[in-house]
Amino acid sequence: MTAAFPDTRDENWRYANLRPLAKARPEAPAGVALPSLPDPPPLEGYQPWVFVDARYLRHSPAPGGHEFATRLDARAAGDAFAGMLDAEIAAAGVDFALARMNARRGDEVLHIAVPDGEHAAIDVRFHALSAGGTGTSYPRLQVQLGRHARLDLAERHLGAGAPDPAVNAAVDVSVGAGATLTHVRIQDCAEQASVFDTLVANVAEHGQYRLRTITLGAVSSRTTAFVKLAGRAARCDFIAASVANGIQTHDFFAEIDHAAPEAATREIFRGIATARGKLAFNGKMIVRENAHDADSDQSLKTLLTGSGAEAAARPQLEIYTDRVKARHGATTGKLDDQMLFYLLSRGIDRQQAQALLQWAFVEDAISQVELAPLRQHIESLVAARLNEVSSLDGLVNRS
Amino acid sequence: MMLKIENLSATVGGKKVLQGLTLSVNAGEVHAIMGPNGSGKSTLSYVLAGRPGYEITSGSVTFEGRDLTTLAPEERARAGLFLGFQYPVEIPGVNNVYLLKAAVNARRKALGQTEVDAYEFLQLVRAKMKLMQMDESFLSRGVNEGFSGGEKKRNEILQMLVIEPTLAVLDETDSGLDIDALKVVARGVNSLRSANRGVLLITHYQRLLDHIVPDQVHVLARGRIAKSGDKTLALELEKRGYDWVIEAA
Repeated sequence: MTAAFPDTRDENWRYANLRPLAKARPEAPAGVALPSLPDPPPLEGYQPWVFVDARYLRHSPAPGGHEFATRLDARAAGDAFAGMLDAEIAAAGVDFALARMNARRGDEVLHIAVPDGEHAAIDVRFHALSAGGTGTSYPRLQVQLGRHARLDLAERHLGAGAPDPAVNAAVDVSVGAGATLTHVRIQDCAEQASVFDTLVANVAEHGQYRLRTITLGAVSSRTTAFVKLAGRAARCDFIAASVANGIQTHDFFAEIDHAAPEAATREIFRGIATARGKLAFNGKMIVRENAHDADSDQSLKTLLTGSGAEAAARPQLEIYTDRVKARHGATTGKLDDQMLFYLLSRGIDRQQAQALLQWAFVEDAISQVELAPLRQHIESLVAARLNEVSSLDGLVNRS
Repeated sequence: MMLKIENLSATVGGKKVLQGLTLSVNAGEVHAIMGPNGSGKSTLSYVLAGRPGYEITSGSVTFEGRDLTTLAPEERARAGLFLGFQYPVEIPGVNNVYLLKAAVNARRKALGQTEVDAYEFLQLVRAKMKLMQMDESFLSRGVNEGFSGGEKKRNEILQMLVIEPTLAVLDETDSGLDIDALKVVARGVNSLRSANRGVLLITHYQRLLDHIVPDQVHVLARGRIAKSGDKTLALELEKRGYDWVIEAA
């Protein structure tokens, strides 16, 4: 552990549970026998890449024959990414400690580069196989979109046998001018997993970064995201949803830096903490002096349904210009009594009614996942966690 | 006797609202409850439906021979009681059609019947929607989400028609409706009238009763029934107001 490792005395880390990572052994062993991997539904038209403990397992040829993804040695990856992240890491200190650890200890990187004007669709699955006691895995993705390029990217972190894997993932993103990245991240690791990830993104002028983050698994998870809207009219759509059941802790820190004129952000978080679940979403918006006519809209809502559940939704604004639109709202509440009574008055079981209302709450965010098969997959995962929603038939708009 | 309310007193937030209300509704009858603001009309509907916070302090309510007060709200609904809300609640994220189906199946289960067939259900809902002059697109929308006041009231009646309750308590279903919508709502309610069903129609205004002709009209004042009569009582109230009834009580 280096001196620069975060702890809960740091404001941005106060809700994170870092103990599992501190306890886990550094590296997952290579060549562990593979169990049968869970097989999420394939996404039509997407090129699948599969990694186990962050090591390459298999991939299919890209549809259309254009290979945009390559495996790089972790040490070479930094050069391939033109040092963008390294410069940020060097400057930013403790918040990047986990990403630094990933860069130092990871073996390989999946590097996706979509050239100017090209379009790709890639589905990356990272299976965590090793137990935390055996070793931590360090998945890493690097994504570069050229001018007016488009990438639809699914990034799924899934379990694979061990009840308590430890994962420290990192993702570096560069969205070129006029390019669009639609990035759906799903964390559905094992119940006792510890999952940490750091995402750094840079969006050039008129670039769009549509990020959807769905966090369901792990006893302890922490997502750290830094998005820099570096070019004029760069836009970020950051939609996050989480269900923390039992004793799960899901912690998010998202900083979006509006560093150019007309930069725009829409940030939505919907999180449910049941039983003794804990949730925290710390959404920091920075609007720089030169970012006139920037537009930032934050809506952070958490729902508590357990007697021991805790949640904190914290919007933070740092604004250095007058010419800006900044709206933010944060609520932490319980199920709406009027809605509940309405459902009960229609004969619906209390437990089912409560689950339906939880569903409705989180669906507000999940419905923003554009790709229908992926959204339906997510909806079925969420429904399974709200175990009284036994059937989605008719509940979800399929249109 | 379908519904028998005897000497019912109830409080809301510690305040006495119902004070010794007695009322009986037989199967096949439509009873209108009228009365000035604050007389306890909505409280009566919520007490019957079992809304938390509405505490019965004395008296009894028997519904088809069962003590209604011992049942949870969902059990009352499954037993055949339906409350049409004065202010229907919006529930984004839960589809109308899902709610309808869940409600119908809850009732069927209570009656020992199997779940409704999906195709037949949709046919039934479509027919009822036609009667209520509602577009089918309402089915896939969130419950009451973004509906106008009139659309919400139609949706309440649609739910009632699909659930087919034994006793419908309709709380100011006519408020906020223009005359055309009022006729549509009245047509829906009239279509449900039958020898084995009862309706408790809570309203401020006589005009609804031009379209849904009641068997009895009651005036609720200061938490109890101050006067009862046939449909002509509503016409008299329309002319003379409520004061004469309250003073005489």
